[in-house]
Amino acid sequence: MSSKRISGQQGRILAVVIIAILATAAGIWSAHLVLEQRQPGISGLEATRFPAPREIGTFSLVDQNGAPFNNDTLKGSWSFLFFGYTHCPDVCPTTLSVLNSVAGQLKDIPDNIRFVFVTVDPERDTPQQLAGFVKYFNRNFTGVTGTPENIDRLTRELGIMHLKVDADGNGDTYLVDHTASVLLFDPDGRYHAVFSPPLNAGTISHDFRMMRQAYR
Amino acid sequence: MKYLKPAIFSLLLVLVSTATAEPALEIGSPWIREAPPGARVLAGYMTFFNHSATPITLVNVTSPDFESAEIHRTVIEDGVARMLPVARLAIPANGRIALEPGGRHLMLFNPARPLHAGDSTTLIIHLADGAEISLSVPVMPQDGIQNHPHH
Repeated sequence: MSSKRISGQQGRILAVVIIAILATAAGIWSAHLVLEQRQPGISGLEATRFPAPREIGTFSLVDQNGAPFNNDTLKGSWSFLFFGYTHCPDVCPTTLSVLNSVAGQLKDIPDNIRFVFVTVDPERDTPQQLAGFVKYFNRNFTGVTGTPENIDRLTRELGIMHLKVDADGNGDTYLVDHTASVLLFDPDGRYHAVFSPPLNAGTISHDFRMMRQAYR
Repeated sequence: MKYLKPAIFSLLLVLVSTATAEPALEIGSPWIREAPPGARVLAGYMTFFNHSATPITLVNVTSPDFESAEIHRTVIEDGVARMLPVARLAIPANGRIALEPGGRHLMLFNPARPLHAGDSTTLIIHLADGAEISLSVPVMPQDGIQNHPHH
């Protein structure tokens, strides 16, 4: 009777010990999983590189040829994304010229590297309008547009601000304030790093090489 | 060869006499950035040098080739680029103000004719004292563009 009671107590203690061991193991295992996704830091970067690359929600846009541009399109190669609009006379041409220089500086890298201009002004920036615009800077650059809702879905997800400013109330001559950062996506289609203005081609190329080298 | 162009144009300094015989306002290396196809706003850049002991204020810019022109200032705050109109541009006594990519710039709206690199147009700078300065301004390609369709 008494030995049975003791063995019952021992059973409870054993159960507690087993649960404690399992909980500890689960804790270590999950911490390991989290740590595994974090990438080792790189010192000396101007770019803001996320400790863990960010998966982004589903988006569905079109390129300047009318072909789909979505999460799958981003996979398989590094992509630089810049958000702007074709009626932007100062910042957007300046940034696309910088990205054209980056493309030139990274020519020795055998990977395909994609440069994508995403409009924040889909009402004026049709695929045809974008085609002439992006090709002017580099014939390999991609221009992306879509419905205002689908553009907004992506910009919200990525924290890209854009605001139409119709200073003179003159209808189609409005300007658009917008985030002027360049975003880097890795070959897994994840948001990997961001370059904030003022942008410099040499800095972007240098940082990209470092991040590419560190990428598993 | 393209890289020589800015150097050549930077030699085109425009000296302007105001009321006095002294050249008070000097306008250095004016240029208009060729617009990509479809764009209806072009940006213009130049540097103003005030060699006088009093401020010089620029109140307007006009051109026979553009519907209108404004001076804007690109401001980047928290990574967001905004363009703020500049109604009057005061060039301080013995000072300089540059209109340059990513900063203050001329906005030239709705060109009356296609303007390509190699073309030039006339800009008229209107000062607060009523003086007008007429400039011949070259259209130049985007910086660093290699595969340019007009060459």
